[in-house]
Amino acid sequence: MTGEILLRGTGLTKKYGGAFALADADLTIRAGEVRALVGANGAGKSTLIKILTGAVRPDAGEIEIRGNRIEPGSPARMIEAGVACIYQHANLVPAMTVLDNIFLGRQPTHALGLVNAREQRAQAERLLGGYEIDLPLDTVVGDLPTVKQKEVEIAKALSLDAKVLLMDEPTAWLSLHEVKNLFRTIESLKERRVAILYISHVLDEIYEVAQDVTILRDGRVVAACPVGHIDRPELLRRLVGEKLAREVATHSAGDVNESRRGEACLVCEGLTRAGVFHEVSFALHAGEILCITGLVGSKRTELVRAIFGADRLDSGRMMLNGRAFAPKNPRDAIERGVAFVPEDRHHDGLMLQMSVEDNLVMAMLASVSRHGVLQRRKKAAHTMQQISRLGIKPASPRYRVGKLSGGNQQKVLIGKWLQRGTRVLILDEPTVGIDVGAKSEIYSILKSLKQEGAAILIVSSDIEEVMAIADRVMVMRAGKVHGIYDTVRLTEPELISYIGGE
Amino acid sequence: MKSVARIPNKELAIFFIVTVAIFCSLSPSFRTGENFENILVGFSHMGVLAVGQAFPILLGGIDLSVGSIVALAGMVGFDGFLIFGLPGAIVIPVMLATSVVAGIFNGVLITGARLQPFVATLATMAVYRGVTYAISGRQLFPELATRSIDDDLLLGLDNYVGHFPYAFFLLLIVAGLSQLLLAATRFGRDVYAVGGNREAARLAGIPIGRTTAICYAISGFCAGLAALILVSRMTTSQENLGIGIELSAIAAAIVGGASLQGGTGNAIGPVIGAFLLGVILIGLNLVGITTYAQPVLTGLILLGAVYYDRVLLGRRRLRLGKSQ
Repeated sequence: MTGEILLRGTGLTKKYGGAFALADADLTIRAGEVRALVGANGAGKSTLIKILTGAVRPDAGEIEIRGNRIEPGSPARMIEAGVACIYQHANLVPAMTVLDNIFLGRQPTHALGLVNAREQRAQAERLLGGYEIDLPLDTVVGDLPTVKQKEVEIAKALSLDAKVLLMDEPTAWLSLHEVKNLFRTIESLKERRVAILYISHVLDEIYEVAQDVTILRDGRVVAACPVGHIDRPELLRRLVGEKLAREVATHSAGDVNESRRGEACLVCEGLTRAGVFHEVSFALHAGEILCITGLVGSKRTELVRAIFGADRLDSGRMMLNGRAFAPKNPRDAIERGVAFVPEDRHHDGLMLQMSVEDNLVMAMLASVSRHGVLQRRKKAAHTMQQISRLGIKPASPRYRVGKLSGGNQQKVLIGKWLQRGTRVLILDEPTVGIDVGAKSEIYSILKSLKQEGAAILIVSSDIEEVMAIADRVMVMRAGKVHGIYDTVRLTEPELISYIGGE
Repeated sequence: MKSVARIPNKELAIFFIVTVAIFCSLSPSFRTGENFENILVGFSHMGVLAVGQAFPILLGGIDLSVGSIVALAGMVGFDGFLIFGLPGAIVIPVMLATSVVAGIFNGVLITGARLQPFVATLATMAVYRGVTYAISGRQLFPELATRSIDDDLLLGLDNYVGHFPYAFFLLLIVAGLSQLLLAATRFGRDVYAVGGNREAARLAGIPIGRTTAICYAISGFCAGLAALILVSRMTTSQENLGIGIELSAIAAAIVGGASLQGGTGNAIGPVIGAFLLGVILIGLNLVGITTYAQPVLTGLILLGAVYYDRVLLGRRRLRLGKSQ
């Protein structure tokens, strides 16, 4: 599988302030090759991608595409050279149609500068037909389900006649079935001699889809070789360094499942929201982690939102520590000691412009103030305690949350809810888009919370994660409970079959 | 049925027709030819301003300086005709060029200096008004203040075909060309893309700075056209020409479906919005509500339209949330 070299980056370097985000990185991608790019958060992956898309101008280094040197730093120039990127967060214009989104910024035009609508449609149909992608061209993108939006992004990149395709965690929001479809698309792209740079945190995917791998750590390329030459433990070791790798290994060994289940803390009976979920009943005990898993669209998020009082319930009842629990809004739930860490950190959970300290004390201002005036010393003491307990790095209360890595942002978000005598902690996909190292730290935090007697409810699509941290797992299918199982007596293939419904 | 569903502004058009019908049945003096002529004369320039305003709003911005640009272009005309005694063939292009330059300056402040559109145009609103006073021929040569402009080309604009003033046809041309620009050209698609998702537009290689500057230039140009209409009708100009008119223009654009969130709207809705505003204000006047209530009503209509826009946005968000 050695085609011509399509993209070659040499000595790429980018400094932010005094720190190297990327130091002297080399990268080559050949035609018909899938190269995986892996690295912990903050290892320089995003910087490298931004350089390749032209969003960021490197301080030093060269980029060649098919042997031609490209002056870096201009998105338009990189696109013209045949480099396209499928971003992790949707980069579509929600109010425009699928057709307009595919041709964003480069609609075919007549002589007078008028958009050639017929040509545009014909090109789109040819494109989608060629790759067997089924999309309604006239539908407004905002009305499409997330998985379809991802396909629009792929179509958009393909329509560029891209020779080099960067895929930044393309599977982060996809269900298992959709991942299969995506891999099929990648295969057909490879046959068409497209070069793909595939960024993912999911090691399984890398072994399934990539031929070569480049590993970044602390802004440097620490390995670049065929995937076959490096096994999982070695890959992990290179990725996160010696010490953390050992910890991750012990996590998957299953020692977490020793269960010290206490009293039933949150009891749900017959929870129903018309057209969404039906007759959901379960009990969550103090000192246990219960994971809710299922396919995209199985209404797990909707369920936990309703439990938290963010959405309305049509029927059913809940008991919290033996007393009736019927929150009218999140405020009610918070007052009863229920906390919710939403899926989308950026939009729903954190004030990115504010400091670590401000975010940590936001949900508990009452207990660090007197007569409505904040007590600075109390606030600082509390913040330092949380920072060391959660291992937030850098350990500086003044640091802006928006500048933290994804894993550390998630720690701040969890920390925000830890005070206030939280009894029930609900987390929605707590480790999506977080690297292996930070994942393991978050698992440790959750484990120690559990040992302190908290009841933890986690929505997760990551089967490895479920098997690693859950005491029990509840599988949902199309808004109904399919079953609740003890993870000690469950194998991964069994769980997958319950989820998929075979 | 599907083709009917795709017609934009159809709720607005129906609402407009119903409003006209109600006033026609309430007031005999409303349903006269002269009254419709009054509405057309009184609100055609408003329509032009509203169409211009749609461009910044589509980008997710706003142009508060249009009222001052109207005054500035008007005063340039006053000076050109009365101080320098130049013909319309020279003065009119200069007036329009002045307004375009003012618009481009807004755009440069917003993209070059990265100022918020609201703040940038609030500042230039004061600046352009101040410049108008500084160059005012009325102050420099007080004897000119009572003279009227008698240029044939300019006065020719203040004419009628039946009950329809030329200004109305000018509005139709402006709205038609703008709609063509928005719906059928790449520039138009770029405007929707920048307003709908700035980051996606940037990553698609769309020139955001240029697109923004052109949008504010169009808004300025429309203000220049509005100045032309007003000056031709008054045969003079004043320093306080167009004061507060930006409020009505913004209200008309938003009533016409241009969302303050950016990315949705068109150039036809603002025209209907402007005349809806006209029908309501003049209609209420004719059924006996005092003229002093007009600014209050304009403000309330603006609030209503913005609120409705928020409700629509909430619904879109809800739909998105459900699909995830």
